[in-house]
Amino acid sequence: MTLQEAQTYLLERARERGVELEALATGSRELTLRARGGDLEEITEAESAGIGVRVVTGGKTGYAYTEELTPEALDWVLAEAVENAELQADADGFLPQGAALGRHDLLGEGLSAPVDEKKRMALALEREVQKDPRVRQVGAATYAEREHQTELASTRGAAGGFRSGYAYQMVNAVMGEGASVKQGFELKVSREIAALDPASTAQDFLYKTGRLLGARPLASGRYTAYLEPKAFLALLAPFVSMWSAKQVIEGKSRLADKLGQQVASAVFTLYDDPDHPEGLANAPFDAEGTPTRRVYLLREGVVESFLHNSQTARKLGHEPTGHASRSYKGVLGVAPHNLIVAPGAGVRLEEGVLVTDLMGVHAGANPISGDFSLQALGLKVEGGEAAYPVENFTISGNVFELLERIVAVGQDLEWSVIFLVGASPMVEVADLAFAGA
Amino acid sequence: MLNESTAERLIAHALARGADFAEVYAERTKSRNLRLLDLEVQEATSGIERGAGIRLFFGTQVVYAYTNDLSEANLLEVTDTLARLKGGGGRVDARGAGGLDFRKTAPAGLHAPERPFEAHDKRWRIERLAEADAAARVGPEIRKVQIYLIERDQEVLVANSEGVWNTDRRVRTRYMVTAIAENERGLQTGFAGPGLSVGLELFDLEPPAEHGRAAGEQARTLLGAKPAPAGPMPVVIGNAFGGVIFHEALGHLLETTSVARKTSVLTDKLGEKIASDVVTYVDDGTLPHAWGSSEYDDEGAPTERTVLIEKGVLKSYMVDRWGSLMTGYRPTGSGRRQDYTYAPTSRMRNTFIEAGDASIESLFEGIEFGLYAKKMGGGQVKPGSGEYNFAVQEGYVIRNGRVEEPVKGAMLVGKGPESIQRIVAVAADRKNAPGMCGSLSGSIPVEVGQPHLLISEIVVGGEG
Repeated sequence: MTLQEAQTYLLERARERGVELEALATGSRELTLRARGGDLEEITEAESAGIGVRVVTGGKTGYAYTEELTPEALDWVLAEAVENAELQADADGFLPQGAALGRHDLLGEGLSAPVDEKKRMALALEREVQKDPRVRQVGAATYAEREHQTELASTRGAAGGFRSGYAYQMVNAVMGEGASVKQGFELKVSREIAALDPASTAQDFLYKTGRLLGARPLASGRYTAYLEPKAFLALLAPFVSMWSAKQVIEGKSRLADKLGQQVASAVFTLYDDPDHPEGLANAPFDAEGTPTRRVYLLREGVVESFLHNSQTARKLGHEPTGHASRSYKGVLGVAPHNLIVAPGAGVRLEEGVLVTDLMGVHAGANPISGDFSLQALGLKVEGGEAAYPVENFTISGNVFELLERIVAVGQDLEWSVIFLVGASPMVEVADLAFAGA
Repeated sequence: MLNESTAERLIAHALARGADFAEVYAERTKSRNLRLLDLEVQEATSGIERGAGIRLFFGTQVVYAYTNDLSEANLLEVTDTLARLKGGGGRVDARGAGGLDFRKTAPAGLHAPERPFEAHDKRWRIERLAEADAAARVGPEIRKVQIYLIERDQEVLVANSEGVWNTDRRVRTRYMVTAIAENERGLQTGFAGPGLSVGLELFDLEPPAEHGRAAGEQARTLLGAKPAPAGPMPVVIGNAFGGVIFHEALGHLLETTSVARKTSVLTDKLGEKIASDVVTYVDDGTLPHAWGSSEYDDEGAPTERTVLIEKGVLKSYMVDRWGSLMTGYRPTGSGRRQDYTYAPTSRMRNTFIEAGDASIESLFEGIEFGLYAKKMGGGQVKPGSGEYNFAVQEGYVIRNGRVEEPVKGAMLVGKGPESIQRIVAVAADRKNAPGMCGSLSGSIPVEVGQPHLLISEIVVGGEG
């Protein structure tokens, strides 16, 4: 059975049983080429697919999924989903009224290139990095690409699909100078393979990791922090769930009563853009088929909107915002597409610490309380310039204090896909607690 | 999942295309997940994951493909694509002609569930989880209690060109309780999450009321916590999940995944003294019913108890097939993967510091000012430099040998190879705790563990 045949089969069985059903199917393709020692050390090639359903019966919602596309497995999926629905106490679930959503190709010819060219890109990346004598070991130099076909269909009339994907280059290596050793990585992602250049990715890696060699301890204290784009996005990532209306409804967001209020500095604007020209997570409609649009989380420091799916919007009496998220294995949630920190007037380095890397984000940040304490790497800023590298320290505080203390935002967007998909300029935060030696 | 003749033809086909080694891994996993908030079911889901991974070695080069389509025609086509991607092909090897004589092994049931998932319905599970919910409400400050229940039943088959034909079945159950407390000072959370390689007997082995209470009490304690002190200081780390520090700072550095590429600072150090005398570090995949145990690894090799460090001296790395090929070290049954979408790499199973002979009280004696990291959160490491960080979930200040007020937001940072030299005393209360470990081959269940132990100096990051 193909994915679309499986979708049709499930919709028919659901209609027979008198339950509402939404079938989300995803087909994926992967190619990963990893170079090491002048040859390709690992090649991964894959195609996979799965289908996941959300059923609503008597206002109760249940889920199930399968990667086995046989009538037996699909029957099991429907039976399990209905049984799961019946466990729910809440009886105000529903499937939104659907519409024809069209077929969209967001990828086009972006990944079209001969496979030998892709192999050359992985090999060239390793070679370029190794040109620097400070590079002791290259863990991996990778070219990879991912392509997804998303198909949505529901008994309430939703029907449509889109194709998306991206290519990336990544290098992970150890650099050393005397006794000082640093491991770093660089990742460049694009929807266009032509935008990836091994030499410039290698240069960025060498610059970003090389500048940290010879790091000294940092004296504990409060400093002005200049957070580089990727570090700022890593710090922001665990707290984005505060804007999820699902978290708000479940009493897990400190923004619950802050709509329309100033919670961040007036120089700070944060929005979600599902249709950004460079967007790596663009989507014409969300996981329920709601058309997407640009939504401001913070406009000049004021909380403008939460992120909604159809269920949370109805509960809070708001409009859906096109942020329903669900993978075929998952359950209905809320998630942003491309989060963008709006560029500001610019940052000028004076005195403080330039924070280049943050580690431990999944463990050191509490999305409910807003507290964070994260290991960082960076450069001490003295007399208006990055003077020397510093290590073995943490930054800590509460995200709300941090947002209030943003004093300047840079002008140039840099993309990240590590903890969230989004882009930010450099962000300057006054008076942040640093703990070191 | 896969019949013998298909596997045989597939492997023969790969060898004929010039592979030195061919392996097929097939998997079918049934899972169920349940999330309760204040005992109301928020989401319940069930699923079937099914697929196969084909791995070929050409010398030390590895090519890997996975697919959900297990038909013989598709698997042969995937093998062709892999050989083509490898390039330089066309070489035909006579080994492809001969048949394989598989040596079949099946699990002995060492970790088999006593009470299978079918023994009770879903409402029974909710009733048992209600015991955790009730116990978590230790006071009016507890506002919400969220509970996840996770059930997995994974059947795997590994067949390879050396004649391995191995089936294994891994049944695992875990529940996780998060208590959310609130007062005028803000929101705090407490957590407890027992899990074992068992079925529904988990609820008897790890009583929900006990773990619910622990989560509730932790949340309440943290509400009153002050910001953690900052700077270098002696730290006593609690047992059980406290072992996450050496999972991160030591364990990951001993996997051939990084050792074979010489990206671990502990490369080429076998036989050397790398830790203080009181440290014996073990990775044991055979502990009955432990969260990270299985009878066979994901390359079809039997798991074992591997002594990594004995009294401070490095005895072994954790070695998978590729790592063994690269380094010449003996494989240790450590090849693991999240599922068929990942090629296996060397990974930890249940990894812990063995009990020592110090009394717990003696660890605190003589500390003028320090930190008691009673419950740890998660962490991270860069194996190339050994730099690690991890969060303290529940911490207390130590003053003049006494455990005093609770503190929040503490983060321990340092370099693993330095920290293991600074373990000065190890108590006798060794215990393990479950967690999920993410790395190159995905997210897999592991246990971490240790007794209470004293580290003479670690940098503590905090706001105070």
